[in-house]
Amino acid sequence: MCDCDDCEQWMQPFMDRVLTDAERREAEVHLDDCSYCRKRYRFETHLRQFVRQAVVEPMPAELKQRLAALRTPLQ
Amino acid sequence: MSETTREPDARRLATNARDRVHFEEDALALSDQVYRVARHLVGSREEAEDLVQETYARAFRSWRSFTPGTNLRAWLLRILTNLNIDRGRRIQRSPDTQPLEEGDYFLYNKLEETNDGSTDEDRVVERLSQNDVVNALSSVPHDFRDVVVLVDIGDFSYADAAQILDIPVGTVMSRLHRGRRILKRAMADSAVGSQT
Repeated sequence: MCDCDDCEQWMQPFMDRVLTDAERREAEVHLDDCSYCRKRYRFETHLRQFVRQAVVEPMPAELKQRLAALRTPLQ
Repeated sequence: MSETTREPDARRLATNARDRVHFEEDALALSDQVYRVARHLVGSREEAEDLVQETYARAFRSWRSFTPGTNLRAWLLRILTNLNIDRGRRIQRSPDTQPLEEGDYFLYNKLEETNDGSTDEDRVVERLSQNDVVNALSSVPHDFRDVVVLVDIGDFSYADAAQILDIPVGTVMSRLHRGRRILKRAMADSAVGSQT
């Protein structure tokens, strides 16, 4: 049985889907049982989305034009 | 040259030109994604733009070394990270005396601690601003940041990130682990201050 410390250790690999099946099941059982870890799990999933969106800077249109201009001219 | 040798040549040239056009179109279609990653691998927008432009110039010159059917986005990022190193970014040795980062629950605990009374735990993340995230990310030492940017922002697998950065998968995993914690620590400092 895993406890909250294990669960904290496993949280990122769990979200990355790289735990073994056995570890994954243990983590799931713990998350079902433990509201402390479940809250934090929900937060972690929101956080990932938030970070991903927060850092997006649209590519300048002018750079796109410069890249297109690098193409080999058609003969 | 006789007619018989010229014709297959012409066909070969036409095929070649068509493959190249395909390659260039495919590469350009990925430019937004390449830029998004590049922007956070280097310090400024100008640097990112230069780097992406250089990457495409090189990619278009050496398009024949790309193996069709493999991951073009990873191939482009591999060129980009190599150019970034060529441009003077030396491999940064992380000093052994790095401040110990906190555990994975640290950021949540920190944000919850400063709870203004609202009990909706699904909104805890809203206490972070976009600036908190951007500033925190740029403060992560680049060995760690490269991996976090590739995996968490670029959506690359551990294996792709390992190939792009030319480091073992195990190193990707350990840097990702530490990098995310350093990032969270920095976000916590930015959002609620580092006084406590």
